[in-house]
Amino acid sequence: MNLNINAQKAQTFDAIVVGSGITGGWAAKELTEKGLNVLVLERGYEIKHVEDYKTAMQDPWEFEHRGKITAVSAEEHYASMFFSAKEGSQFNFTNDKEHPYIQKRPFNWIRGYHTGGKSLIWGKHTYRWNREDFMANAKEGLGVDWPIRYEDLVPWYTYVEKFVGISGQAEGLDVLPDSTFLPPMAMTAPERHFKKSVAQKLNRPIVMGRVAHLTKPQPWHTAVGRASCQFRNRCTRGCPFGAYFSSLAATLPAARSTNRLTIIHNAIVKEIILDDHAQKAKGVRVIDQNTMEVREFYAKVLFLNAGTIGSTSILMNSKSARFPNGLGNDSDQLGRNLMDHHLAVGARADIEGFEDDHYFGARPGSLYIPRFRNWGNDKRDYLRGFGYQGGASRADWARGGTEPGFGADFKKKMTQPGPWKMSLTGFGEVLPDPNNRFYLSPDKTDKWGQPQVVFDADFSANDRAMRKDIMNDGAEMLEAAGFKNVTTYDNPAAHMGLGIHEMGTARMGKDPKTSVLNKYNQVHTCKNVFVTDGSGMTSASNVNPSLTYMALTARAASYAVAQLKAKNL
Amino acid sequence: MNRREALSRVSLMLGGTLSAPTLLAFDRWSQTTPENRKTGASILNEEQREVIARVAELIIPKTDTPGAIDAGVPAFIEVMLRDGYTKSVQDVFLTGLGNLAGKGLLTASPDQQTTLLKQLEANALANAKAGTVSFWQLIKELTVWGYFTSEAGIKSSLDYQPIPGKFEAIKIKPGQKDFMYGNQV
Repeated sequence: MNLNINAQKAQTFDAIVVGSGITGGWAAKELTEKGLNVLVLERGYEIKHVEDYKTAMQDPWEFEHRGKITAVSAEEHYASMFFSAKEGSQFNFTNDKEHPYIQKRPFNWIRGYHTGGKSLIWGKHTYRWNREDFMANAKEGLGVDWPIRYEDLVPWYTYVEKFVGISGQAEGLDVLPDSTFLPPMAMTAPERHFKKSVAQKLNRPIVMGRVAHLTKPQPWHTAVGRASCQFRNRCTRGCPFGAYFSSLAATLPAARSTNRLTIIHNAIVKEIILDDHAQKAKGVRVIDQNTMEVREFYAKVLFLNAGTIGSTSILMNSKSARFPNGLGNDSDQLGRNLMDHHLAVGARADIEGFEDDHYFGARPGSLYIPRFRNWGNDKRDYLRGFGYQGGASRADWARGGTEPGFGADFKKKMTQPGPWKMSLTGFGEVLPDPNNRFYLSPDKTDKWGQPQVVFDADFSANDRAMRKDIMNDGAEMLEAAGFKNVTTYDNPAAHMGLGIHEMGTARMGKDPKTSVLNKYNQVHTCKNVFVTDGSGMTSASNVNPSLTYMALTARAASYAVAQLKAKNL
Repeated sequence: MNRREALSRVSLMLGGTLSAPTLLAFDRWSQTTPENRKTGASILNEEQREVIARVAELIIPKTDTPGAIDAGVPAFIEVMLRDGYTKSVQDVFLTGLGNLAGKGLLTASPDQQTTLLKQLEANALANAKAGTVSFWQLIKELTVWGYFTSEAGIKSSLDYQPIPGKFEAIKIKPGQKDFMYGNQV
């Protein structure tokens, strides 16, 4: 009898956080620092900061395939092959063969099932959303209105920015509100020329990309063991300097230092256990991914931070007499309004001149061009807008693969810097659409018996109209700078998921009849469950979303603890 | 669109470090995995190996710095051919090796060898079509890639800076070596 009581006690915490990625790390930090005993459940394997970044210090010749993923590994890491996965980093990307999903319409689901999740492989461009982003749905009668406004997030943006460490420069733009910054990274000579030309001829500001890399570490950064960026740009292998922000380098160490953090790995959350009488969650049921053992853990409050698709899948899979269609799904909005940013469209150019200009170091970041369409007096025949990331760099030896010639002169030429080139890639806002969705397969399961995710979403006519402007405006700016051989591209294979900014599927809103979460990311109809990753996003903005997820998580954690203390949960 | 089509189209869009032939390595979903990929067995005979070494050294010869053979490029090409390419691309490569051997590459004088390769390059450029890959493209790119990612190639031919520690815009002198930051992987 005593044994059972003790076992139950050992599996009971104040709070459970599902997922250890960029928002799970923040939930763990905030909840432990406010005095709660927190269990973090990570579905993937354990990675230890620094010691498990096994390829971080390897040189190119130390890789059997010199960085290229082999034919066999490419099949296993199918979705991740499009952008980021390489021989030195493929272990940070989820194996699609072991973790299958279904594409009713094409969708690339790029994941990181390990400690830190996608915070080890993110692009690290970090921007505040602007005032309009939180009002556009209401103004245009699309989706539902956000239950919060920019002003609600300002103190939380400021709070998380300081801890994250974002390099960048204050510009005073409404369209791209300033953060709290560390010093910006440098622009190259052609980039400075580009910025000046576009400002003069087109009156568009171009800013240095704001990236979550420490350029001047502050005491609270070094206190958790982080150091300055070394400009190696090997980030996706894991950063042994802790220079870029990840939950492994920053939030989890902060949570651990409270002595109130427990992390269990290989723990696939199958479902939330509901207390039918109280209409509250009691805990979660978990499958060990290696042993298949099923265990239960209990807590007063649950934070779902499993990534947009992961968190919503857990809600969908948590069926009960009260919630036959998934926990909190009275609105039938679970899985709907799946959004991403559309990209793989833009412009490029060759740059003549600047032969004696170069750069020392490898910069993990680029320029950023803030949205200028449908902003101020500009009006287009589509809704919302787009921004660009891009920059100028000198071609290196790799140009030799396609440049004619061979022999001693050819060899010598390849040892010297090649011509400058510039490329701009647009990131466009995708509108919320209830028919862009995912659901759980009724018959196909993975090897843990969990239903596979079925993606059924695509870009809209609005997105396709926007893509034309992305190409033309990109070309216009490159031409304004006098660059040569300007070409545009719009890849026909671009589709949802490639942006790795999956958002929506458990949207926030004022009305429980039309939304899943309230203004504190709390499930309307199950108050002790919070979802603070991308699932809650009501619209997508056109700027990268992670900073907003982090601000929402810190805000929700603060609220949850206050509600716990007031005995409202 | 199936996976193979989708990936090859996106790959072409990405451009960047590696060009079409190398990216075509991923054009494989309709193919079976060659058995030697699993066993690690070689797919080349001695003559084929000699042709690879000769061509690689002609592309990147030993000068005041090491050449392709010094840098271990032939062995790299063999590994990549085995692990990175489909059966159909492997076949294009093996046919190309056979043709060069048939034209007497291994017994030709240095000048004749250069002439043979010039013809090969001219033909490859003239017949280049989207979605196809030539022997010349493959061996050229694999040689350049293998050399400039090798320890000997990097340390002798480039300014190797594994931990730059800073990023700044600078001026360089004419003829100055390019930097190698080790981030091509």
